[in-house]
Amino acid sequence: MSEDACVRVKALTKRFGAFVAVSDVSFEVKKGEIFGYLGANGAGKSTTIRILCGLLSVSSGEAMVAGIDVVHKPNAVRHAIGYMSQKFSLYLDLTVAENLEFFGGAYDLFGKSFRARRDAVAHDLALEKLSGELTGSLPGGLQQRLALACALLHKPQVVFLDEPTAGVDPEARRTFWRVIRHLADSGTTIFVTTHYMDEAEYCDRVGLMVGGKLAALDTPAGLKRTFVPGRVYEVQGASVAEVKKAATDLALLDIEPFGNVLHVRVAKDGPDAEKLRDELTRHGVHVTGVIDAEVTLEDVFLQVVGGATKPSQAPQEAQAS
Amino acid sequence: MKVLRRTMAVAHKEVLHIIRDARSVYMALGLPVVMLLLFGYGISQDVDHIAMAVADEDHTPTSRRLSEALVAGGDFVRQGDLASPDDAETALRSGRVKAVLVVPLGFERDLARGVPAAAQLLVDGSDGTTATVALGDAAGILQATSSARAVKASLSSGPRVRVRFNPTMRSTYNMVSGVIVLILAMVASLLTALTVAREWERGTMEQLFATPVRRTEIIAGKLIPYAGLGLVQTLLVITLGSYLFEVPIRGSLVTLFGCSMLFLLAMLGSGLIASVIAKSQLVAVQFALMVSYMPVAMISGFMFPIANMPKWLQAVSMVVPGRYYLTTLRGVLLKGNGLDVLAGEAMALGGFAAAFLAMAVWRFRRRLA
Repeated sequence: MSEDACVRVKALTKRFGAFVAVSDVSFEVKKGEIFGYLGANGAGKSTTIRILCGLLSVSSGEAMVAGIDVVHKPNAVRHAIGYMSQKFSLYLDLTVAENLEFFGGAYDLFGKSFRARRDAVAHDLALEKLSGELTGSLPGGLQQRLALACALLHKPQVVFLDEPTAGVDPEARRTFWRVIRHLADSGTTIFVTTHYMDEAEYCDRVGLMVGGKLAALDTPAGLKRTFVPGRVYEVQGASVAEVKKAATDLALLDIEPFGNVLHVRVAKDGPDAEKLRDELTRHGVHVTGVIDAEVTLEDVFLQVVGGATKPSQAPQEAQAS
Repeated sequence: MKVLRRTMAVAHKEVLHIIRDARSVYMALGLPVVMLLLFGYGISQDVDHIAMAVADEDHTPTSRRLSEALVAGGDFVRQGDLASPDDAETALRSGRVKAVLVVPLGFERDLARGVPAAAQLLVDGSDGTTATVALGDAAGILQATSSARAVKASLSSGPRVRVRFNPTMRSTYNMVSGVIVLILAMVASLLTALTVAREWERGTMEQLFATPVRRTEIIAGKLIPYAGLGLVQTLLVITLGSYLFEVPIRGSLVTLFGCSMLFLLAMLGSGLIASVIAKSQLVAVQFALMVSYMPVAMISGFMFPIANMPKWLQAVSMVVPGRYYLTTLRGVLLKGNGLDVLAGEAMALGGFAAAFLAMAVWRFRRRLA
C-alpha cells in the first residue's frame, strides 16, 4: 500500500438483505488525484460513496478516508470530507449567501475565518454576484456550483461528488470540470461518480463498476489499451452483418454499431483505413467512408460490461439516464 | 462552544425557513387567532337569547315581574304572548320558540298565601344543550324573583348554588384555555413534523449528516425557533382572550409560561417523532394530527369532562399531555393556582417532554442504513 493513499478500500462489501450492492471492492486513491467511478445506475457507485462518507454501515471489509477508519469511526471523518449527494440538496428557500453561511456553521466556520473562506470559494466558483439570489431561482448549473461551494468551505482533504453534473447543460459541465481540475491541482483529492463517458476522460484514473463489482481500474488510456486494443475505424454506410461477412482476413476484433455508423476494430498490425475500405469494397460491401476513429471510454465500457454481464443491458441504462 | 454554534446555525436556518414560507407563518400566528375567534364568538357553549313565549293567565304585577325577570337576565327573549297555555305545545313544535312560560290564574294569590306557586316553564328538550341551560338559568331567576318578594315560600328553600371562579359560567373562560392547548398541540407538532420530513424528502438530511453537525444539534436547533414561536402563540392567545373575552389571569405568568414551555417541548417532541419515523411530509402530518390534535380535542377534558368518560378512556387520557396542561391553564388563569397545587401537572408535563424528546433523538438515526 502506498504512503500517500488518501482513500483506501479493501474487500469492501455492502449487503441490503439478500441484495449485494457492493461486492468485495478494493482500491486506493492518491492525494490530489481525480478518481472517477463509472457505472450504470444501481452498480454500487452511490453506495460506495455513502460508505466512505460515513453515512452507511459496512457489511464487511475496510475503508480508510484521510487516515480515518470510516467503518469504525464514521463520525470522525466529517471534517475531512466534502460531500455532494446525487439528489440536489441545498435549501432552495434560502439565498446563496444564507446557504453558504449555514454550511459554514455546520462545518464549524464562523466569523473572520468563515468570511475569508466564503469569499475565496465564491470567487473560485464565480458566485460572488449571486449572494442575494434565492437558490431555488438559479439554473441547475449554478445550483450545482453552489452545492460544490458549500462542500468546499471547510477545505476538505477529499471531496466526494455523486453524479455532480447530472442534468446540467454541457457548458456548465465544462466549467464545473475546470474547477475540479483546479482543485485537484491544489492537492484536494476528488472522488467522483458519473455515467457521462466523456466526463470520465477528465479523470486521472477510472474505476468501472458492474453489478457491485469493480470490473476494471486504470487510467483512461490504460483502460483503452487493455480493453480496446488495436485500431478503430469508423465505417459509414455498411451494416454489421455485411462487414462481418466481408472481413474474413482483416484481423477483425470487434464491430459495434455507433449511432448510424460502425466502429470496426482491428488488431494493431491490421489494415489502415484505406486498406480496410478497399478490402470491404472488394467483397462487395458498399461503404461511403472509412475514417480513423478515436477509442472512447464508451468502447471500454461496452467491452467490460460485455465481459461481465449480458452484452445488451447495462450500457443502454448508462446512456438513458 | 462548537456544539452551541452548530445548534445556532441550524436554528438560524430554521428561522429563515419559517419566514420564507408564508404558510408556516399563517399557521403559526393566523390559526390561533382564527380558532380563538371561532371558538370564542362562533362556537360558544353559552346559551342566551332563548326565544320564549309567555302565556300569562294571572295578569298580575307579580306574574308580569316574573316574565320580565327572565327577559332581563338576557337569557330569554320574549317572542310574543300566547292566548292560552294550550297553544304552548304548538308553539314549541313549530320551533318558533324554545321555551314557553305559563303563569296560571291565581299565581300572585298563591305566592302571597305561601302556597307553592305553580308557574311552569316548558322547554324544547330536542335541543339538549339549550334545554339544560335554559332550565338552569330559569331556576335561578325564578328563585331570585320569589325571594325578592320576601315571601317565605317553599320555592326558595332549595339548596343554593354558587359557581366559584367563573360565577357567570362563561364558556369563553374554558374556551380560551382549551384553544391554547389545542393550538399549541397542533401547531407545535405539525410544524416540527413538517420540518424534519421535508429534509428527508428533499435529500438535505443526507447532506446534513455528512457535516459535523450531530443529531442532537439538529433536533435542538429545530426546536429552538418553534419553541419560541409557541411562546409567542401562547402570549397571543392569552392576550386576545383577556382583551376580547375578559378572561382573567389570576395566577403567576411565570408559572403559566413555564408550564407552557414544558407542554410545548412535549408536543414538539411528538412532532419530531412523527417526522423521524415517517420521512414523508404527508404521513408525518397525518401522524402528528392523530397524536396531538385528536387526543387534545377529544379526551383532554377540553370539550368533554374526563369524569364522564368510561374508565378505560380515562386511563388513556392519563398519557395525553394536553390533559395536564389544560388543568394547569385553568388553574393558573381562573383559580390563581401556583406550583404548590400544580406540581403534579408540571411534573407530568416535564416527564412527557423529556420522554418524547429522548425518543425522537433515539429514533433519529444518524446512519442512513
